[in-house]
Amino acid sequence: MRWVALGAAAALALAASVVLGPAAVPLGELTRSDIVWSLRAPRAVLAFLVGGSLGVAGAGLQALVRNPLADPFLLGLSGGAGLGAVLALATHLSGPWALPLAAFAGALGALALVYRLGLVGGAALDPRILLLGGVAVGAFAAAITTAVVSLADAAELRNAFLWLWGGLSAASWDTVLVLAVYAPLPLAVLFAAARPLDLLALGEEPARYLGADVERVKRRVYLAASLLTAAAVAVSGVIGFVGLVVPHIARLAWGHQHRALLPAAFIGGGALLVLADTLARTVVAPRELPVGVVTALIGVPIFALLLRRWTIA
Amino acid sequence: MDHRVSAPPPILRLDDVRYRYPAAPRDALAGVSLTVRSGEFHAVLGPNGSGKTTLVRLALGALAPAAGSVDVLERAAHVWPRRELARLVGVVPQREDNLFPQRVRETVLLGRYAHLSLWGAERPEDHGAVERALAACDAAHLVDRWLWTLSGGEYQRVRVARALAQEPRLLVLDEPGVSLDLRHEMELFELVRGLVDREGLGVVMITHHVNLAARYADAVLLLADGRPAAAGAPADVLTRETVERVFSWPVTIQIWDGRPQMIPLRQPKEPA
Amino acid sequence: MPCPYTPTVRPLGQILGRPPCSPEARRPLRSRHLQFPRGRDGGACALHAQTLAHLRSAGDGRSDLRGLLLASLLSLACRPAADRPAAAAGPLSAVDDAGRTITLAAPARRVVSLLPSFTEILFALGAGDRLVGRTAWCDYPPDALAVPSVGDGMPPNVEAVAARRPDLVLLYHSGSNVTAADQLAGLGIPAVLLHLDRLEDLGPAARLIGRLTGREAQAESLAATMDSLASQPTPARRGSLVFVVWDNPPIVIGRGSYLDGLAALAGARNVFSDVAAPSAQVSLETIAARDPDWVAVLSDSAAPPAFAARREWRAVRAVRTGRFLNLPGSLFGRPGPRSGQAVRELRARLEAGGAP
Repeated sequence: MRWVALGAAAALALAASVVLGPAAVPLGELTRSDIVWSLRAPRAVLAFLVGGSLGVAGAGLQALVRNPLADPFLLGLSGGAGLGAVLALATHLSGPWALPLAAFAGALGALALVYRLGLVGGAALDPRILLLGGVAVGAFAAAITTAVVSLADAAELRNAFLWLWGGLSAASWDTVLVLAVYAPLPLAVLFAAARPLDLLALGEEPARYLGADVERVKRRVYLAASLLTAAAVAVSGVIGFVGLVVPHIARLAWGHQHRALLPAAFIGGGALLVLADTLARTVVAPRELPVGVVTALIGVPIFALLLRRWTIA
Repeated sequence: MDHRVSAPPPILRLDDVRYRYPAAPRDALAGVSLTVRSGEFHAVLGPNGSGKTTLVRLALGALAPAAGSVDVLERAAHVWPRRELARLVGVVPQREDNLFPQRVRETVLLGRYAHLSLWGAERPEDHGAVERALAACDAAHLVDRWLWTLSGGEYQRVRVARALAQEPRLLVLDEPGVSLDLRHEMELFELVRGLVDREGLGVVMITHHVNLAARYADAVLLLADGRPAAAGAPADVLTRETVERVFSWPVTIQIWDGRPQMIPLRQPKEPA
Repeated sequence: MPCPYTPTVRPLGQILGRPPCSPEARRPLRSRHLQFPRGRDGGACALHAQTLAHLRSAGDGRSDLRGLLLASLLSLACRPAADRPAAAAGPLSAVDDAGRTITLAAPARRVVSLLPSFTEILFALGAGDRLVGRTAWCDYPPDALAVPSVGDGMPPNVEAVAARRPDLVLLYHSGSNVTAADQLAGLGIPAVLLHLDRLEDLGPAARLIGRLTGREAQAESLAATMDSLASQPTPARRGSLVFVVWDNPPIVIGRGSYLDGLAALAGARNVFSDVAAPSAQVSLETIAARDPDWVAVLSDSAAPPAFAARREWRAVRAVRTGRFLNLPGSLFGRPGPRSGQAVRELRARLEAGGAP
């Protein structure tokens, strides 16, 4: 029953995203409209993929670091992506894919650094080291980014921060294709780790005794979640709150078993971002809000409600 | 032809095992041997820091011994794939986290992980194993309760049920009686003894409760500073000299129900 | 108050030892000389992008709410340029746009200009020989390049300015420049703060500079030309355009900005003239739906902008058909004596079908 409701919500959000928009397209002309097919439809699909990826990555990371406040962007990926983007702009890299590729490379760099930190001293991806290392790497990247912006020609660089803010403006069928080819593997890895993540909630030693290969699971979940997040940042900047809030909302209806939670987080995250993007495009038309603002405006009250539940429960 | 039935291999055998943690000044365990067969209840006793939990980790292959061997069914423990080992050995560790609220049924079902395929759902036999495990632990009536509503004793029984859901041949319990009151601790020992007698499980239990171990266990291993102080039947191990030496406290030994019971004395004497 | 340029810092070339204003060296897609437009009605100031970007650059973007709040507070504080009241009689006296009275004993002989537009005005008044200091962005006329640079001017390097021993400093009226003006006044150097966001600001600015440099006649004639340009009737429409400042997310120029005014005078309709803000983020589909005839970008090169190759931008007809107006930043990005020339060039291009 819940699944039906979730599916309906997602379908409704996608439909609204295609039908509504700042450019008034009459219903009768929807199927013939170039705007709808070249712009709105790929944008809706991309929003769904990105939101879903962030939702699943968030749920996986929360289980991995055993901290319900974990967010995919806690691991320094946004800092790395921003640095990559800014460097690409400062060095005037050409090509329509220069910016997303550079952001992706930056995110991977941050990922590698944090991963390496997590292995230092035999720590074997200790969650606390991952979190602290992520914060440190993110801050470091942000500092270098600021330095680059302050030293270089800043006309485009300031606008680069608007990009980093999150937006699905670059959505096209090309982008959708790239993400649709890229995302299934890390998603599959995360879905396969659903049961071991349930075990991990008991602690690493109990999980090991119950038969989970803890080291392998941690490695895979960390890498898969980070790769999904890196791709999301590369195509759409930093869209906050989806990875943090969607897993919690999903847990309200589906509980903590990851076999149900992860797919629910995917569909829920996708639907949420599609809805947020529709609002971003229509609320102040003809202008557009950065979608990260809308997810924050939706996410913060929900988050506050959730905090209240915790402190009461 | 030789028609003698050869004895089945022991489920667990530690042979002269030595282990030292990285950057530790001394060995955590040295020269320890232990052999556990089906239907045997072994208790591991010793003061704090005597290496008991290290023994569990070595037995489960979580650590590899620096010297000696640890074999589960004649195969080195750390070589066993995790899932297969979990079908043989069930562990009730000292501590576990409870990050999310869970029902008893869900947490016991976690014990079936080693029997489930990667993508497959839980099958009727998994649910059956859960029910049997809960019944064996006298916790069947708790099946739909939330974990955080259980008492300490009930919670411990549920954890034992989870280990039993693995359908193991060996059950390892690490200080399961800590923080349990008299009744619940007695119930726990009765439960374990019953499992050994009825189901033929092998059991290794680490415990501080010397007297209960003496009454329920078939064999006792007494550790001191990582080395075996004595091993064998309770009556042979728990002598006054040995106990006083290991625990550094004067005691007297009295026999109850054919088993030695240790009674600590009040005035500490100077060590001999 | 808004800063005239989007850039705030020295070009990287300067760090590496290359002269900052070598003409074609490493020209970015958009000119450094873009003056950020400001709204006529003082409603939504162009400050929004500037402030927001400043605040956002500080972190992971969670400061956006603060930024929005600050921008909206500042926009409420924006007021339209006030008429300058007649100053008290004295050797040479004037009141600038910040309400400060400047008194000079004699016409200024050593002037530091901290805005490319002021540099151009100074030369147009025939007072270019009095320029002793300029910003790194002041590149017109070529004679200006011979004058030493005192940095990029954002914020003004007060020490470098003072080292030129000026008797008059011309500053753009912005928040950080008010501080600099105070500091200069503390050193006994008269500093003047002037608005220069739209064509209409050129006349008053020229008059004040002329007054303080004793070139009032020339200033009056320049101002008259600028005023008549600004009040020219809008010619017949020759097509529609959209000014694209940034592509991801798409940022366009709206009503009341300098570029919007230029376009109107050249006979082009800005498809986003219904947006009250000088610049705004819009959806790509809005641009596609409004179907402008031209896509205008500030660029010193003739090549189509990088975003033209992106698939989603090809939903815009003008991008598909390659109808771009590449407007060099030095000429089109700043109000100044050459604004008339800019209008004529733009009009000519529109008539010729876009080719420069």
